[in-house]
Amino acid sequence: MIDPVTTEIIRCALLQAAEDMNTTLIRSSYTPVIYEAKDCAVALLDRDHNVLGQSSGLPIFLGNLEVCTRETEARHGRDVWREGDVWVLNDSYIGGTHLNDVTVYGPIFVDGELVGFAASRAHWLDVGSKDPGGSMDSTSIFQEGLRLGPVKVYEGGEPCRDLHEVIARNVRFPHATLGDMRAQVSCAMTGQRRLKEIVTRWGLGTVLAARDEIFAQTERMERAAIAAIPDGVYEASGHLDNDGIDLATPLPVTVRVTVEGESMHVDLTDCADQALGPVNCGAAQAVAAVRVGYKLLVSGDVPLNGGSFRPLTVETRPGSMLAAESPAACQYYYSHLGLLIDLVVKALAPVLPDRAAAASYGDSLIVQFTGIDPRTGKLYVSQEATVGGWGAWEGGDGESCLINNVNGSLRDMPIEVLETLFPVRVRRYEMRPGTGGAGRWRGGNGVVREYEFCGDTSLSLWFERSVTPAWGLAGGAAGAPPRVTLNPGTPDAREMLKVNALPVKAGDVLRCESGGGGGYGPAELRAPEAIAADLAQGMTLT
Amino acid sequence: MSFRVAMDIGGTFTDVVCYDERTGAVTASKAPTTPGDLAEGVFSALARVVDDPSRISFFVHGTTQGLNALLERKGARVLLLAGEGARDVYQIARGNRDRMFDLRYRKPEPLVPRRDVMEAGGRLDYRGRELAPLDEESVRAAARRAREEGFDAVAVCLLFSYVDPAHELRAGEILREELGDGVLVVLSHEVAREWREYERTSSAVLEAYTGPVVRGYLSRIEQRFAGRGLGVPVHVMQSSGGLVNASYAMRRPLQTLLSGPVGGTMGGVAAARLLGRDNVICVDMGGTSFDVSLVVNGRPDVSAEARVEGYPVLMPIVNLHTIGAGGGSIAYAEAGALRVGPESAGAVPGPACYGRGGTRPTVTDANVVLGRVDPAWFAGGLMTLDVEAARTAVSGLAAELGLDPVRLAEGICDVANAKMAQAIRTLTVEHGVEPREFALVAFGGAGAMHAVFIARELGVSEVVVPRFPGAFSAWGMLEADVRRDLTLPYFRPQDDLDAADLSARLAALEREALDALAGQGVPEERRRVEHALDMRYEGQDYTLTIPLRDAAEPAGPGFLERVAARYADAHTARYGHATPEAPVEFVMLRSTGFGSFPRAAATVPPAPPEAAPAVRDVVFDGVPHRTPVLRRSALDGSFHGPAVVVEETATTVVPPGCLVTVDDNGFLIVKVDQ
Repeated sequence: MIDPVTTEIIRCALLQAAEDMNTTLIRSSYTPVIYEAKDCAVALLDRDHNVLGQSSGLPIFLGNLEVCTRETEARHGRDVWREGDVWVLNDSYIGGTHLNDVTVYGPIFVDGELVGFAASRAHWLDVGSKDPGGSMDSTSIFQEGLRLGPVKVYEGGEPCRDLHEVIARNVRFPHATLGDMRAQVSCAMTGQRRLKEIVTRWGLGTVLAARDEIFAQTERMERAAIAAIPDGVYEASGHLDNDGIDLATPLPVTVRVTVEGESMHVDLTDCADQALGPVNCGAAQAVAAVRVGYKLLVSGDVPLNGGSFRPLTVETRPGSMLAAESPAACQYYYSHLGLLIDLVVKALAPVLPDRAAAASYGDSLIVQFTGIDPRTGKLYVSQEATVGGWGAWEGGDGESCLINNVNGSLRDMPIEVLETLFPVRVRRYEMRPGTGGAGRWRGGNGVVREYEFCGDTSLSLWFERSVTPAWGLAGGAAGAPPRVTLNPGTPDAREMLKVNALPVKAGDVLRCESGGGGGYGPAELRAPEAIAADLAQGMTLT
Repeated sequence: MSFRVAMDIGGTFTDVVCYDERTGAVTASKAPTTPGDLAEGVFSALARVVDDPSRISFFVHGTTQGLNALLERKGARVLLLAGEGARDVYQIARGNRDRMFDLRYRKPEPLVPRRDVMEAGGRLDYRGRELAPLDEESVRAAARRAREEGFDAVAVCLLFSYVDPAHELRAGEILREELGDGVLVVLSHEVAREWREYERTSSAVLEAYTGPVVRGYLSRIEQRFAGRGLGVPVHVMQSSGGLVNASYAMRRPLQTLLSGPVGGTMGGVAAARLLGRDNVICVDMGGTSFDVSLVVNGRPDVSAEARVEGYPVLMPIVNLHTIGAGGGSIAYAEAGALRVGPESAGAVPGPACYGRGGTRPTVTDANVVLGRVDPAWFAGGLMTLDVEAARTAVSGLAAELGLDPVRLAEGICDVANAKMAQAIRTLTVEHGVEPREFALVAFGGAGAMHAVFIARELGVSEVVVPRFPGAFSAWGMLEADVRRDLTLPYFRPQDDLDAADLSARLAALEREALDALAGQGVPEERRRVEHALDMRYEGQDYTLTIPLRDAAEPAGPGFLERVAARYADAHTARYGHATPEAPVEFVMLRSTGFGSFPRAAATVPPAPPEAAPAVRDVVFDGVPHRTPVLRRSALDGSFHGPAVVVEETATTVVPPGCLVTVDDNGFLIVKVDQ
């Protein structure tokens, strides 16, 4: 039996080790997707692939980096791990995400004994898909770029030149990509150093005893939180707009949550089959999304470890879009993950009114443009997610112009940085009043971002959640859906939400409007002074 | 004219340090801070060290006036004039979330509400070329509104003003012409000449919000000082760790925002110089927070931006990493686990041992139970501690966790120490440096109580407890240089670099910096300017600041190769890897002027003989040790731990196995585990 003092000191040290890994990765990465969008995650794992400490920029990477080390070991046996080796993997059906998300991981040894793993996942700007940056209309994973199974990128501390060469020749920005990969290797080394220090100081036996106790503490807290939810079956349904190819057919998803005593089971089998377009994901990601919804309601910002999610089971249906199989396209694997998170919250909202909120605008709403910069003659890719309105709750209005759940702590691209780096101008960046759902508490407002292109460019868009926009709760109204217009107010004005590689000309204007959040409670109960304040602040339309 | 005086105005006390130029004697004292009118506390603290202000040859102080206004949200009413189409940039605040698992997340409440933001027509492109002229009528409309509705300040932030400030300057002219001196007009490019419109707007708003309060305070202080015969300018500490005179600080009040806490870091710089060391870790532990900062290669670690209360500020600012760990941090049980902090008992009710009704055990209570605090000598004897109350509080939690109370007390300290050590590691990891190579300088009321334990966690072998650890920030201000930071955005891919142009721009910055130093009264032979370039690989965001030999260096042969190699080395040192073949780009020029003051060595009074010290049981590693309680003023030579050293403002705990030496500066040098 280990004493609580030692356990707590080791717990803090493991959390810090993960933070140090994250710092190393973010500060030394080469592309804005990682340092600005924080499209990355790190984990320190024990030798049984349990999370000792994790730090994540994206919530949906929570608790699934370990599938990479687990899968590698399942294929090659435990003896495959060698000191000084670093592995890389991006296969969608293992990691669950798109090929751009590359996991880099390595074993950690102390005195010749395997004690754990350090892993990081980061979004590479380009992995050689048919369109720069990634396609909105891929129909097979073979169009989406270089696919790496578990392979070694360093062996015995030396770079594997062959693989480096393969990567460099298959991506459009080899310097930045290999730079990001080296940042991930550096991050793994930071994790190795930290865990070695911890194991050397306390001894493996003590660290393992502390680990068991830390996991048990987390499990106890989560079980107690679930036990407080009334037993029952809770259900919610929603739709993705379409798969990006057949724009007329919405794709249904139903979440069925069963709470029984201290356990929760989430059934995701009732959803569309895997689609032709790139809206599929591997089962690992569907599980991760459910975990995010669970965490929002059950354990909040408490740090994650191997004891987390023990009371939770998730069931998926192989061949469905939430557990896709080869060769399903997976580029936009995250649109329905945002939907899943919102549906878990909606399903449990009636029994967790003090934790839940109405739905948010829900999706990343990607604006991507690429071409040859007339100023430099070089290929560029600009990729942005769009902020929008969040849902209201009992006692508070939803926040306006805030990044969606899936994108974690992403910051928007400053106009001054965007215009310096790319041939584009931002004409307007402002709130979109009146888009938050009405209610006793009002949903947050979306945003308007209007671009004018300064050179011919190839435009791709992925805007979602127009079929089931942010729903209200307890009688609150739904938020407005998103809207995108090319050349608004001209005879050629064209509305669209998804498009791939559409040629646009210098001088064309693109107006992107994001959705608002859902309202909470009946609108007629809204306090008169709150209505007056909304009008004064221009939050609603008069 | 013979006294040099520095003052640090804290939340509770105003600390003062006085250096007598004739005798070399240094004295420290304190007076209660007077929140209503800080000047009152300043003069009462001053009266304790100098009887006649006309004999002061140099006066510097750190003011918390601006920060207090911000913390209490009692700043000025600000009208914000934003660029065309960019009205909501300040409200959108880059749209990010700081907490990921919170469905009810709200951004920090903007200091300017949306209805108080107006747009100025006109637009520049990314090179500063005019796309649409400034709409002067829209600026006049803002001026009218500011006048009619009684705004205290107008902040202006127009897109790309960091490239070409012409539109902002013209807007400023119009506003000043319309509004006169009664309304503060703040132009973003003057506050922060850097890109990223939200961060620059936030900086300008913060200056407008805190500026009127800081200006009012500084002009009152100057007047009163002049009335009492002070014949020299009042100097103010800036967040960068450099000094400026009050008349400059009134023009750029934002720079004083973190004036107080950085004094400690500048004390660390001065201590490093006296100790002949390059690298020190500065730890400041008080009642509620623990601040860490670094001195690397004899310089303070200064960042180009920071967040204050969740609001970004673009200005040179000493990199202080703060965690909620102090004497007041509460220990509690959660799911059978022990947790310590960040919740604090604060001053009221305070730790259980304060006897003010606190019942939950804190770090201070744990120290009391272990015998590491002399209950009769706490805060220089100003307060007597209730040992029984501390024991009761700790025992209650011990029973809940199934631990022996003394084991728990030591455990609470161990957990707090481990967390503080981790906070230090966070900073050192960011810098790619190894803490083992540093000495740890401990100050603040509780810093020296925990320093040796923290040092052990980090493998640090030397702890330094300076003289007057409770007034160390004030001492640091006394030792600081005048500093002026100039920046010039210089975005260039390496292919576009014109080295001669770069040298010419640096030379111009150098002249500007030298003029600024002259304006601060720094004599010519004491002025110097350092130059550096912010660089990165193409596509990266974070930059590293690469020092240059001088302004002429870029014009020399092979500059690009040389500076790229320097960048690769710095990248490797910091991140463990580099891509020497990848193209670099230049982002910002940084020129910093320093003006030093003459410093004389302080003398240390000889130790008076002391009667045999009191001896008490103090617990180390679970075992009570007979431990002498020593008066700091009576120390001399060397001695071994265990020992507890008490003085007016702090307590130093020396565990067994450590050797303490009093050096020529009067510092305690603790060799850890020797």
